Amino acid sequence: MKYPDNKGHYGEYGGRYISETLMPAILELEEFYKKIKNNKEFKDEFKGYLKNYAGRPTPLYFASRLSELYSSDIYLKREDLNHTGSHKLNNTLGQALLAVKMGKKRIIAETGAGQHGVATATVCALFGLECEVFMGTKDIERQKQNVLRMEVLGAKVTPVDAGSSTLKDAMNEAIRDWITNVRTTYYMIGTAAGPHPYPEIVRDFQSVIGKEVLKQIDKFPDILIACIGGGSNAIGLFHPFLKYKEVKMYGVEAGGLGLETGKHAASISGGKPGVLHGNKTYLLQDEDGRIKEAHSIAAGLDYPGVGPEHSFFADKKRIIYDTVTDKEAINAFKLLCKLEGIIPAIESSHAVAYLEKIKDEIKGKTIIINLSGRGDKDIDTIANYLSQS
Amino acid sequence: MKINVNKIDNLFINYKKSEKTAFIPFISIGDPDIKTSFEIAKVLISNGADMIELGYPFSDPMADGKVIQKSYERALKNRVSMADAFNFIERLREISEIPVIFFTYYNPIFAYNPSKFAEKASAVGIDGVLVVDLPPEESDELKKFTDEENLDQIFLLAPTSDISRIKLVASYAKGFVYYVSVTGVTGARKSLPAEMRSKVNEIKKIKDIPVGIGFGISNPEQVKEIKNYADAIIIGSKIIQFIEDNLNDKKNIIKNIAEFSYSIKSSLM
Repeated sequence: MKYPDNKGHYGEYGGRYISETLMPAILELEEFYKKIKNNKEFKDEFKGYLKNYAGRPTPLYFASRLSELYSSDIYLKREDLNHTGSHKLNNTLGQALLAVKMGKKRIIAETGAGQHGVATATVCALFGLECEVFMGTKDIERQKQNVLRMEVLGAKVTPVDAGSSTLKDAMNEAIRDWITNVRTTYYMIGTAAGPHPYPEIVRDFQSVIGKEVLKQIDKFPDILIACIGGGSNAIGLFHPFLKYKEVKMYGVEAGGLGLETGKHAASISGGKPGVLHGNKTYLLQDEDGRIKEAHSIAAGLDYPGVGPEHSFFADKKRIIYDTVTDKEAINAFKLLCKLEGIIPAIESSHAVAYLEKIKDEIKGKTIIINLSGRGDKDIDTIANYLSQS
Repeated sequence: MKINVNKIDNLFINYKKSEKTAFIPFISIGDPDIKTSFEIAKVLISNGADMIELGYPFSDPMADGKVIQKSYERALKNRVSMADAFNFIERLREISEIPVIFFTYYNPIFAYNPSKFAEKASAVGIDGVLVVDLPPEESDELKKFTDEENLDQIFLLAPTSDISRIKLVASYAKGFVYYVSVTGVTGARKSLPAEMRSKVNEIKKIKDIPVGIGFGISNPEQVKEIKNYADAIIIGSKIIQFIEDNLNDKKNIIKNIAEFSYSIKSSLM
């Protein structure tokens, strides 16, 4: 069975929980995407941009010193080498092509770490589209560099000072803008979440990651590891491998200060199903169904929800979801810098950190880690963390 | 399925006969605190409300503008639970028989349990339920229970709704259709789109059902125009603004809201 079903459900998850005002736009997008997704011309155009603009395929790099440390064969899928410094551009290139073909002139987006914001601002410059990015004031503070990058690319960055002033609140504000300007505006969601068809669209565009890996490998991996915020880089790597039952997959959620402290962003490991931002999925929430603030040192993982397809595979136990803490992620960040000369994003460091947690299991195995982004943006955050601890 | 005529239907049947338009004010339960919000509900009822829409605060009100967002934030500080909301409505029922619409987002209902929610809502005297992020496509999970309890699940239509959406919503609608006057979030507006009238007529051509208009309505002049073609007008942000402006003077909140409610009711006469 293929997911999602024709109503956008992944089992009991997903769907379209949105205001009636937005329903016509969502249905229009679904219809349009259905028509275009298998169109050869569209696919070739998308591939062309991925190759000549984004610089794909990204290398699958054998990390020899890291491998030696863990007595296993560890490969890094170098999404950090994608143009703009993360996997996010794969999705924004695809969606920008969609938006242009739909005749939309204005793009809005939400961003947490700013990686999706930068990737959105980039494609808007490329295609000559007006761009407004919503970003929580707390994230603006901790990701200043990305704010400047968006601004030099011509985007308007609108600060959101509500709730936790992070990604969830930026998404609320983007949705409000969309409700208001739905006739002219295309909402470019950055992760594999939101109302159907977004989780499917984002997954399809990000699946280039896993498809490339399939071409790059000599032998099949035993284990795939990726970090999970909303889950777009993870689903991008995992999805093309789902049919290979022998490949084990780990989705690493942000454990923040530790699951037991309540200060984390692990929606699957520490939350329960609910409805937010247009989809039914695992959420961090209190007993009254109010959404709780997430906590993670990684702004890109600091979100109280997760894509519906991950919720679905969590219940089916096809993908295993677990957590690493801020501290473990920092240690992995330092480890990768020193052993491989690669500065990973603090988000991606969560995936690297998971090696330590399963070090007995991985001996002699072949592992592929999705290194979803580069860490230049995180230097201040790391310095702050290290000076405080 | 049982077909019962409930209080909402009765009100619109009577008002249609006498060519009247109903006034439906909206407030949040627990803003600025539970006690005062109960006083506000009382004063709205004694100053002309024909029906009342009570908002159950949610942490992420994506369809709401700043005024209602802040109202929910104040209410959430008072830790208003579903039990508090039901208790509020139970007490309101002791003093008034007007129809009560329960307004919220889906997650609080889903977390509480849709079946248990419908059962309790009916028991305390709620007549209609409006869940703003639950379009017909996703509504069955709740609707099967609200139908059992003879609660009207109210659906919305908007300026963006084309004929196929109008038909779909009309086929689900009970009680009345809530027409969102503007393409946007809640919040008082000085001017409203002229297309409202033709849109209401379009809806009524598809189904003979009462249409209430909300989002953006803020003054008696707008009301005087809209009453010519709408069966109800819904006003929220403008009323809640009186709370925000008088947080240190609760008496003034009550006084202002009473006067405003009276002026709206008068303009409907």
